[in-house]
Amino acid sequence: MTTYWKQVWVIIWKDLVLEIRSRERIASMAAFAVLAGVLFNFSIDTTTTRTQDVAAGLIWMTLVFGGLIGVGRTFQLEAEDGAFQGVLMSPAPKDAIFLAKTAANFVLLYAMSLLVLGVFAVFFGLEVGSNFPWVALVLGVGALGFVALGTLFAAVSTGTNMGETLLPVLLFPLLVPMVIYGVGTTTRLIAGRPFDEVEANVRMLGAFALAAVAAGAVLFRYVVED
Amino acid sequence: MSTAGTRRAAIALTLAGLLGLVALYWMVFFWVPTEVNQGVVQRIFYVHVPAAWTSFLAIGFAALASGMYLWLRDERLDRAAMCAIEGGLVFATLVLTTGPLWGKIAWGTYWTWEPRLTLTLLLWFIFLGYFMVRNATEDPEKGKRFAAVVAIVGALDIPFIHLSVIWFRSLHPEPVVARPDGPTLPGDMLITLLFGVLVFTTLFFGLFLFRYAVEGLRSESDLRARSAA
Amino acid sequence: MNLTFGPAPRHDTPGKNMKKFQTRSLVLVALGLAVVAATGVAQESADAVQNAGLARQNLRPYWHVFAAYSLVILLIGGWAVSIARRLKALEDRLLD
Repeated sequence: MTTYWKQVWVIIWKDLVLEIRSRERIASMAAFAVLAGVLFNFSIDTTTTRTQDVAAGLIWMTLVFGGLIGVGRTFQLEAEDGAFQGVLMSPAPKDAIFLAKTAANFVLLYAMSLLVLGVFAVFFGLEVGSNFPWVALVLGVGALGFVALGTLFAAVSTGTNMGETLLPVLLFPLLVPMVIYGVGTTTRLIAGRPFDEVEANVRMLGAFALAAVAAGAVLFRYVVED
Repeated sequence: MSTAGTRRAAIALTLAGLLGLVALYWMVFFWVPTEVNQGVVQRIFYVHVPAAWTSFLAIGFAALASGMYLWLRDERLDRAAMCAIEGGLVFATLVLTTGPLWGKIAWGTYWTWEPRLTLTLLLWFIFLGYFMVRNATEDPEKGKRFAAVVAIVGALDIPFIHLSVIWFRSLHPEPVVARPDGPTLPGDMLITLLFGVLVFTTLFFGLFLFRYAVEGLRSESDLRARSAA
Repeated sequence: MNLTFGPAPRHDTPGKNMKKFQTRSLVLVALGLAVVAATGVAQESADAVQNAGLARQNLRPYWHVFAAYSLVILLIGGWAVSIARRLKALEDRLLD
């Protein structure tokens, strides 16, 4: 059992180190987070809309689009260098590879989501304050569901001729529950409502994330086999 | 099941379905009474709901077949999944076209984020994704596996989407006055609706079998062409 | 090449079968549309009695119902026709 988790950890570590060294995905996701905030500011008519009312939705949409960028490149390195064969021939079971890739993506996306939260709080005058731990939790759970599905379908889209352009088509319909529960919860929390009010929705978000991870772990092997 | 047997069953079911469709049309236009609040446009309901039911039947069937295909690698299972999804796409399109026709008169807008309509829209895209993925690979076997994964994950997500959309809707209620598809549907309307469901299901399976037989013929002719070359 | 797909029809050629199917489906489509149109007229007079109070008769709902029920025939029939067309193409290919 410990070999399994060791293998998972090795792959996570490798991917994160590569990421930190090359800064490819981190840089583009971080820049996206800030620039999205800027563009959104200009897209809201503040005479008719309070930014606080729509901020949660904008945060989550930024996560979705930014996450798409990040997750789409999950297997790019392997595909480019022909390293995928190496990954497949490794003694690590396929679901371990999936969990590792998902975890690495999660670290990236969660970091980005906290950045988005901070940037948008500044840009739109949000007072997250007391509910910050809960918002951070909700963002984390949502991000987990996103990266699980995203990693699975990134493997699918990388294996097609259309590549990354196919990813939103496959992914977006499936993300509806995440967006609905995530935004619904975050809106309330940012507005200062107590966590008890949103707990049920966070549970649903958690169930969604769990199901996504499980489905991905089971199905990933069928996507990457030769 | 031999191809001849499949074709016979296909023809039988399709004919039964077509006859049932004529009977359904008769029931809708001559028998069932007009609904009080929405008037005559409510009659679209009797094809709109059965079509929705059929499209969800399609994804469920396709997901099961896809799961078994990934497990057993029997080409016939993949073929069945593909034919079911093709049918599902047809019926989902029907839902998405009859819905706005109904909605424009009944509720004043072409589109409402009503749970059934929203769910069917997303299902339509899952169906689309299935075919896009299936046809976007160089190796057709890869395409079949990818498509199977799309079908399975899509079907698994449906309950989540359903619940979340209903919850969303409860926060943003649409100005719907009367909804004749609740448990209080009067007798003859219920009978018509259920008959519609039966007819559409029969038609779906009839045409599905037809499509399945044709697809079987196609793959066999491909095989012979390849071995002859 | 022995292409046996069960007991084959003795006296019909694949082309003839195809024609039969096409005529049958066309008849059914025509029947369906005739039914829909006729009932639109029938419904109009029936409902006119019910809605006698209204000053102005708006026929738009009837068009929507007609369109919806035509779409049913077009979409389902369209699928059936596309399957039949694929079958014809296959049979042509096999006869080569």
